[in-house]
Amino acid sequence: MIFLRRQLPLLITFVAGVVFAAQYYVPHPTSELMLTEVTKWLQIISGFALVLGVTSLFQIHAVKIRRKEPGWAYSLILYSGILGTIAAGFSYSFTAGQWVNGKETINGIVTAFGWIYSDMMVPLQGTMFAILAFFIASAAYRSFRARSREAALLLIAAIIVMMGRVPLGEMLLPVSGDVTQWILNVLNAAVRRAILIGISLGAVALSLKIIFGMERAYLGGGKD
Amino acid sequence: MTFAERMLHIDRRIIFLVIGVCTLLPLLYPVGLAIKVSPEVRGVHDYIESLPEGSVFLLSMDFDPASKPELQPQAVALLRHAFKKNLRVIGMTLWVTGTGLADLVVSQAAQEMGKVNGKDYVFLGWSPGVGSLIITMGQDLYKAFPSDYNNQPTRELAVLKGIQTLRDVNYVVSLAAGTAGIESWYVYGKDKYKFELGGGCTGVIAPGLYPLLRSGQINGLIGGLRGAAEYETLIGQKGRAVAGMDAQSATHVAIIMLVILCNVFYLLIRTSRGQSGQPRG
Amino acid sequence: MPFETLLGAWVATGLTLFIFTFLYQDNPLFKLAEHLYVGVSVGYTIVKVYDTVIVRLLYEPMVNQGDWSLLVPLGIGMLMLARYFPKIAWLSRIAFAFIVGVGSGLAIPRIISSYILKQVEDTVRPLASLASGGGPTFTYNLLDPASNLNALVLLIGVVSVLFYFFFSIEHTGPVRVAARTGILFLMIAFGAAFGYTVMARMSLLIGRFTDLIEFADPRYGRATLWLLLATVATLIASGARRRDHLPGGG
Repeated sequence: MIFLRRQLPLLITFVAGVVFAAQYYVPHPTSELMLTEVTKWLQIISGFALVLGVTSLFQIHAVKIRRKEPGWAYSLILYSGILGTIAAGFSYSFTAGQWVNGKETINGIVTAFGWIYSDMMVPLQGTMFAILAFFIASAAYRSFRARSREAALLLIAAIIVMMGRVPLGEMLLPVSGDVTQWILNVLNAAVRRAILIGISLGAVALSLKIIFGMERAYLGGGKD
Repeated sequence: MTFAERMLHIDRRIIFLVIGVCTLLPLLYPVGLAIKVSPEVRGVHDYIESLPEGSVFLLSMDFDPASKPELQPQAVALLRHAFKKNLRVIGMTLWVTGTGLADLVVSQAAQEMGKVNGKDYVFLGWSPGVGSLIITMGQDLYKAFPSDYNNQPTRELAVLKGIQTLRDVNYVVSLAAGTAGIESWYVYGKDKYKFELGGGCTGVIAPGLYPLLRSGQINGLIGGLRGAAEYETLIGQKGRAVAGMDAQSATHVAIIMLVILCNVFYLLIRTSRGQSGQPRG
Repeated sequence: MPFETLLGAWVATGLTLFIFTFLYQDNPLFKLAEHLYVGVSVGYTIVKVYDTVIVRLLYEPMVNQGDWSLLVPLGIGMLMLARYFPKIAWLSRIAFAFIVGVGSGLAIPRIISSYILKQVEDTVRPLASLASGGGPTFTYNLLDPASNLNALVLLIGVVSVLFYFFFSIEHTGPVRVAARTGILFLMIAFGAAFGYTVMARMSLLIGRFTDLIEFADPRYGRATLWLLLATVATLIASGARRRDHLPGGG
């Protein structure tokens, strides 16, 4: 039983990891066929994983409603949002004459599900992220101080790039456009390249540790 | 408190108001300053321009409604260009919450250019998996998408005739708002299946993609709303992106002024403390 | 104008303004919009995942095309759901092991090829050509990213930043010089990143304002203006009510 609980998952990770890392270097038709099948399976399983993420949300807010904690009315709104959207997604559209089946439009006719998406989700999500513009301005005003030489360099680079990326900036300071291009294509590219190489080396090292069973945090679930 | 200290602790809602006004006024009273086109954007445009009629162009709209203002104008401009060149267009997305948006963009652009679904273009929709999806498409497109977004079997569509895998696609452009985008398309796609890849992205991730641009792993990069405005200028059809450039100019200048002011006040405080020899307050 | 479009414009404008009220202060309108946002997003994701995974990727191929090999991923996916039942939660480890194993195996060679080998190759290649046949053809146009001078600057940048991040050796002597150069490059790159982030955030705001301006049109019944008045009135009223309930009165 211990084998099933502890060793089997590690064995599966090891075998799967080695087989598919090796597959990249084996162009034989059988190996390619195996890749096609298994990546298709992986897709389907990722879909199940997506749903897992949302269920904890259900639990938290269900508890809030049951215990009538402060703000439980908002949890009720959240629940109605979820259930209302799901209901719209699987409802029958009388205008289109068929089941919605998760489609936003049917033959050009907007369904209730599509209405919820375009007129609720899109503006809500868009605005949630748009208010960040105000916060970045306020934060820049309060804390973007040239406390040292390096900070001054950061500031100057930021100002040049902000000028160079707008028509007004290029008009007021014509050289800012070219300098911005140089900063982005040479200096920034160099730094990002180094960071990319470093992160990739780290990611490969972590993946190897996972395959060889040295890193087990991903397993989770159930007693050891 | 001195004037400088009071100014540094000003109610942040005043700053919000300044930004709000700087955004609103240029949108209501546009000026229309000229937009210079960068080589990165030209890279994508010139490649599409060079594709012969009937070539296969795959546009992956890998963003959600949060990035709609930056990436939807890019999608619209690219689709208009592709449809004008009579390319066979395949639309799809890697982000589940962006599916409705992507569907709308493709249908509207197609309707505007008089293109027929199934014959001139197809919208495949979303499928889970990012990396595994791209690999599956690279191995066998019809296994990844047995049907399109309208539940039509993909094998029977005229627009996909002769296409078996990603190797048969002439140009892929990914409009990305995060890692599940251009980077995934390169690592899991172009690396093995060798199609040409271009990118469009939000301003937040744009600087991080320059290494890929420099090495030729992507042949062009449309960065943010400014990139979309440049593309609209290139295709001669000005849209929302160009309209937003004046507001962009005003807000950038406002932020620069705020940063300079902040440093001036900070300097004033430091010199006054230096003179008195003691920290104040 | 069709009723749903008009109603949609009013609802979209209202929800947008509710979220903007957060800029003034946290209030019930914002909380309502925030919770609704989470609810609708989750509901949308669930519908889409069900339609794509269960119906289009599993049910239809299995029943219409007889592809019964799909029972394997279905089984593994179901194993993942065992996580919710404490007695059999350990079964979900098998599913995770499979995903992580295959995922890591697929990623390793591809990342090495794309991000390590290709990136290093591109840093070094311009210099290799310089070393073999360079000399009088050394190009130093700063504005051309592909010029030899820029290739040298790029190499210095990459190496010095890599040195900076190498914390396992002491930053003294030549290593210190390299690391300090790296910091200078890093500061400029972060400045550029900040500039681009500002650009991105402002663009998002411009997008929302463009929509609000469109919905202020008489075609939509001047939705923006009326709802703005209503929102401000609600904020003032709730602010006054809160002050009245404070000890000592308003």
